[in-house]
Amino acid sequence: MTLLALNGLTKTFETPTGPVHAVSDVSLNVQAGECLAIVGESGSGKTTIANMILGILAATSGEIAFDRQTLSAKRSAKQRRRIQLVQQNPLSSLNPKRSIGASVRLGLDVYDIGKKSGRWTAVEAALDAVGLPGNMRTRAPASLSGGQRQRVSIARALACDPRLLVLDEPTSALDVLVQARVLLLLNDLRAKHGLTYIFITHDLAVVRNVADRVAVFQSGQLVELGETSQIFSAPKAAYTRQLIGAVPVVDAAELNLRNKLAEGV
Amino acid sequence: MIRTLRILAANPLSLLGLTLVILITLAAIFAPWIAPFPTHNGAVVDFLNNNRPPSSHNWMGTDLVGRDIFSRILFAYQISLTLGVVVLAIAVPIGTMIGLLAGYIGGWLEMVLMRIVDVFLSIPPLVLAIAMMGVLEPTLTNAMLAVTAMWWPWYARLVYSIARGEREEGYVLAAEVIGAGAGHIAFREILPNCLPAIITKMTLDMGFVIIIASSLSFLGLGVQPPTADLGSMVAEGARYLPDSWWLTVFPGLAILVAVFGFNLLGDGLRDVLGVDE
Amino acid sequence: MSLLHIKDLRLGFKTLAGQVDVLHGIDLDIAAGEKIALVGESGSGKSVTARIVLGLLQETRTARINGTVQFDGQDINSMSARDRATLRGTEMSIIFQDPTSSLNPMFTIGNQFTEVLRRRDPKLSKADSHVRATTLLDEVAIPDPARVLRAYPFQLSGGMNQRVMIAMALANKPKLLLADEPGTALDVSVQAQTLTLMRDMVVQNGTSVLFISHNLGVVREFADRIYVIYRGNIVEDGPTDALFANPQHAYTRALMSAVPRITGVGIPEVPEVSDDFLAPRISHGDAL
Repeated sequence: MTLLALNGLTKTFETPTGPVHAVSDVSLNVQAGECLAIVGESGSGKTTIANMILGILAATSGEIAFDRQTLSAKRSAKQRRRIQLVQQNPLSSLNPKRSIGASVRLGLDVYDIGKKSGRWTAVEAALDAVGLPGNMRTRAPASLSGGQRQRVSIARALACDPRLLVLDEPTSALDVLVQARVLLLLNDLRAKHGLTYIFITHDLAVVRNVADRVAVFQSGQLVELGETSQIFSAPKAAYTRQLIGAVPVVDAAELNLRNKLAEGV
Repeated sequence: MIRTLRILAANPLSLLGLTLVILITLAAIFAPWIAPFPTHNGAVVDFLNNNRPPSSHNWMGTDLVGRDIFSRILFAYQISLTLGVVVLAIAVPIGTMIGLLAGYIGGWLEMVLMRIVDVFLSIPPLVLAIAMMGVLEPTLTNAMLAVTAMWWPWYARLVYSIARGEREEGYVLAAEVIGAGAGHIAFREILPNCLPAIITKMTLDMGFVIIIASSLSFLGLGVQPPTADLGSMVAEGARYLPDSWWLTVFPGLAILVAVFGFNLLGDGLRDVLGVDE
Repeated sequence: MSLLHIKDLRLGFKTLAGQVDVLHGIDLDIAAGEKIALVGESGSGKSVTARIVLGLLQETRTARINGTVQFDGQDINSMSARDRATLRGTEMSIIFQDPTSSLNPMFTIGNQFTEVLRRRDPKLSKADSHVRATTLLDEVAIPDPARVLRAYPFQLSGGMNQRVMIAMALANKPKLLLADEPGTALDVSVQAQTLTLMRDMVVQNGTSVLFISHNLGVVREFADRIYVIYRGNIVEDGPTDALFANPQHAYTRALMSAVPRITGVGIPEVPEVSDDFLAPRISHGDAL
């Protein structure tokens, strides 16, 4: 079943030096329960697409349908609630002056989820679900490690009971050992809650291990869309091959695969 | 709070500032009880003892009509501090509100509000106050009104510049994605991040408000006699310099000490709260 | 003899709550012309080590530095601040994460080159420096160097600025180049190109390199030898091939296995912290 459908999605920014086509005529479907990776370098339009999906940026033309309902940038709380975001930088995404519990609770208050008296209990449960002790809720973000902060961000998104999570480079600011733990957590949560992920990243090695399908973007255009196994065994677009060719590798098997794919043999 | 005070106390200059501010505040509050001549705040005349230099009886001497200068300074602090607190209590919320609206909401609101602020900021504060006091009657209330009118734009500017920066932070985006209202984002998310700077500026400004208020009454536009006020005391005594130096030097020192205290404390708070100006 | 000899380097910071130790006795050597990588996670102490080598941290009042840091036979720690400043930009230079923000937006690339070249040769004329800069930009494969010299950093792409940074860092033929996560702020493909360029340039010039990184994959293609640092201790070191073929220390192994592979072997269950990570240092011989 298609959960999210992008149809001819286009975003043009007017600038003093003329129009900039950030996203040009993108159409793709996201299936319920899948993890779709959106891959591209800076200027590929991947963040612009995410912002349109999240409803914080209006499309110039084209439409976004979620669960067969067309969405505009002005959305009802009910529509908004089901699409949530986890950002790249766990330091800036949590308000330094509020306790992490207050940040996680925001969605419960905005969408009026559960009884008021039970909301702190719900916050603790949300923290527990991402592997953090519930009594941590009174702490300030500054006293947490990068990995813990990113878990709080995930808990905040999950507290809204979403169906689709937009993960915008969720692990690029983390150390590799922490990244591994957070990726495993995201995998578990997807299975447990039947979530759908849009995983935005520049890191193809991460994509290979977490995504079901991959959409490759270059200068606002969708240049390749395919199953992850296909992208990493027989990439079609030259740009995809170029991206794979630039991935830093750590073992001989990877080196062989990379060189083979980059040459396009 | 306690942690803030502890770090503050570790710096000798900040500690001095804090001590001065506490002493002045206590002196002002308890003036009627600790002043040697509590009645000298008002219209008291004692020509037998007028214009006396400092002595063990009158520590800072007496004025032209024989009132104890030390007592009058304690009462004058009451006026200065009240004025400062009232001015800031009105100017800070107004300025903060306007700064937050302009900084977070942006668009045409930002344009309109900040141009108004610019107009106010382009007029030298004392000139604006003098102009207002020229039109209005010179009373304490009007003095407060005049000083308030020129004070809020500074807070609008300060809060605006911080809010502009905070608007781009990830936590604001997070709240917007969740669908929190503009009121929640401005007051619950952004405002707490402006507070350290606001508190620091308020402390520094207490000193400035005292100077401006004193300047107004020095010019005869503020608090009117016989009420004790530091500015008018300096003005009255200025004609008798250098012979009757105590008439001006002690009220002048009193202004200096208050301003100095609030500035040291403000600087200390700025370091502790991590505010960059 | 090694160009850079670090022995039992310790660093602590004085804070209100007492001293916080950051480095617990680092040993590290770089031979002339050798490319060394120092790999670790955030907070491991790799960046402060670079700042000590550059003689920058010595100027921080709260820093307590002990141990030996010998550069070209001179002890950096006991040198005067002035002598340390003289070394920077002449005998040693640095390339940072984000090339665009490490260039001054107010001056043209040409003027910044003149500035750099005059560190070594104060009387150099503007015309001569332009001739030198043109040659240097040509060496880092920048087309139309004359145009780039007239440009301001913000008018150039990140990749172009990175090439400019490499040319500038090597302009005075330093003996040691410090590269602190170079190009991490750039796109992966641009980063790969500029790293290859940097490697070719330092090999050609015989420059020694201390490459600071958190990314094992990036250093693998660059370094001759690798030091792995964890919480202020070197836990493993050795020639790149040996270390990648046979990582011995629990921390290096965890790090190595946690790196996602394009071969798609999945994300392994590795602990974020473990007592084993604090095990004693393992050296793969072959070092100096």
